[in-house]
Amino acid sequence: MIVPAVTWSLLWQTIWVSFAAGIGVAVLFSLVILASARASDARRAGNDVAAAGFGALAALIFLIFAAGVILGVQVMLTK
Amino acid sequence: MDSDIVLWIVVATALAFDFTNGFHDTANAVATSISTRALSPRIAVTLAAVLNFAGAFLSLAVAATIAKGIVQADLVTPAIVFAGLIGAIAWNLLTWYYGLPSSSSHALIGGVVGSAFVAEGPDAVLGDGILTKVVVPALVAPVLAFAVGGLGILIIYRIVGRQRPGPVVRGFRLGQILSASLLALSHGTNDAQKTMGIIFLALVSNGTLSENADVPTWVVISSAAAIALGTYVGGWRIIRTMGSRIIKMDPAQGFGAQGVGATVILAASHAGFPLSTTQVISGAIMGTGAAKRVSAVRWGVAGNIVVAWILTLPASALVGGLTYAVVALLGTEGLGPLVVSLFALALLGIAGARRLAAGKTLTAEG
Repeated sequence: MIVPAVTWSLLWQTIWVSFAAGIGVAVLFSLVILASARASDARRAGNDVAAAGFGALAALIFLIFAAGVILGVQVMLTK
Repeated sequence: MDSDIVLWIVVATALAFDFTNGFHDTANAVATSISTRALSPRIAVTLAAVLNFAGAFLSLAVAATIAKGIVQADLVTPAIVFAGLIGAIAWNLLTWYYGLPSSSSHALIGGVVGSAFVAEGPDAVLGDGILTKVVVPALVAPVLAFAVGGLGILIIYRIVGRQRPGPVVRGFRLGQILSASLLALSHGTNDAQKTMGIIFLALVSNGTLSENADVPTWVVISSAAAIALGTYVGGWRIIRTMGSRIIKMDPAQGFGAQGVGATVILAASHAGFPLSTTQVISGAIMGTGAAKRVSAVRWGVAGNIVVAWILTLPASALVGGLTYAVVALLGTEGLGPLVVSLFALALLGIAGARRLAAGKTLTAEG
């Protein structure tokens, strides 16, 4: 039995999309945590400007992450 | 009258499969969250059950036609579906007993393939369909998830490795709750539809409904309730295996396995190449463990899981085929399914009573 060519193309697409999306999620969520941790550290050190900046950065990256989650729900509903 | 009996037996068996599907696959959504204490066991299964129930209502396009493209659809009868369901339920219960995560969808496909093979001969089985829809995805899913999960956790450690543990642990626990919710919702949407599809087909083949009819509300509610109830009961043996017996995980690894795993599942679906949730999450757990330290993975446990994956299709096909042979011997129009289902219920009752008497039941409390 030979695997049809269409399966190979789907397979390659699945592999690169999975790598891109999986690594993307890992990076984005880690950056949210990193920025949040830095904001917390800055707040503890009394540096309010840096705390606000890191907090805003964490919120911005979280919004991008949330957009990915919404895309995931959309995929779930349309497959 | 006879066909009505078979119809209701198929409906009840499909709901029983839905229940086993729920408790067998609970682990995919909650095992890592429980292991890293992101959620307490009872709250984790309650959340997963509610989202499975809600997920079943999100999409009602009965696209998940049973074993579509794997057996000749026009040859499938209620008796074949019944025997296939028995094969799938038997495999789900056996793997649950040994605490082994395996694909409920592959078990269902195997059961139907076995019963169709015995009923109609080898021409009823589409070999290409099995290869492209079961074998190739089963080879790809764990390897891909292992690689993406492993690479993901290395990147996560690189980014947050020098931070204070407190905010990092809290952050990844929150991420796990989010990814667990997404997986539970996805499971309800996807797997409850399979049961709805089976019941809908049975109703159509019995002449109760026309092919163009909407899925009856009672079918949607009963399928959603069965999968949610199964999820709430929780397959604690499999949860223990996935949560703590493959690797001892920290919250970052928990997120790496579950969050990245959920992403791989949805990305693969988006690409048109659906992968088994169980195989992806298990592979990702192994990947996040091995990336930290190869010896962190209990390879003996991992090996048992892989053996279960290899055996899923042939074993459920064997039970499905044997069940159909017995049903055919007694009569496919009523007596066969009735006797087999009563026998199966009696076996389950005896096994359950013995376990309760021995006090060996594993619960949320341990």
